[in-house]
Amino acid sequence: MNDSRRQILDMLAQGKITADEAERLLAAVERSPAQEGETVKYLRVLVDANDEHEGPTKVNVRVPMQLLRAGVRLTGIIPARARDQVNDALRKEGIPFDINNLTPQNLEEMVEHLRDLTVDVDNEHAKVRVFCE
Amino acid sequence: MKPEILPPLTATVRVRRAGWRHGVRLWLPLFLIWLLLVPLLILLLPLLFVGALIFGINLWRSLKALNGVLAATHGTHVEVDRGDTKFFIRLH
Repeated sequence: MNDSRRQILDMLAQGKITADEAERLLAAVERSPAQEGETVKYLRVLVDANDEHEGPTKVNVRVPMQLLRAGVRLTGIIPARARDQVNDALRKEGIPFDINNLTPQNLEEMVEHLRDLTVDVDNEHAKVRVFCE
Repeated sequence: MKPEILPPLTATVRVRRAGWRHGVRLWLPLFLIWLLLVPLLILLLPLLFVGALIFGINLWRSLKALNGVLAATHGTHVEVDRGDTKFFIRLH
């Protein structure tokens, strides 16, 4: 049993939450991002929008994280002078990022941190959820 | 996750629109497209080699990286439901 589930059941036992709330929380945990020890495999984007002119729209996208890794390898083939131009353009836009720092090692560290990434946007027009699994 | 070496070999596509009695369900053999592209790539190799020399790019690394990007699309899944139209594609 993982920590999140244990916490939810403890709160239920202590009467801090109702059974309905516990059920919702447990369901959310089961849908949650990759658990500890598991490699992050996919990036998921779920959109549920309701536009008054275009009607309801649902989008479900699953992209393998391997694509991110492969994309980083592509930066390795960019010629040096092109990289300098890209870095200059980024600096002009106010982004102090050096694409030479985008290495497979740094990317693995970033992917590890993405394990805990969850973006939830919920307003009257749309619900957007971004997470890794 | 073990990295794939080959690009996706097949794709599943499903399309359904309001008013259609049945949706369209396709199984696409992408490997046939790759097989068709290989001779084309071989024909273009001299040009690519010259272009790589001019721009200072390692051709072998570039081709390997492009193959890596294609291969990494295994498992990509896109589903769009606009109410009257549903579209789904999955790469295997």
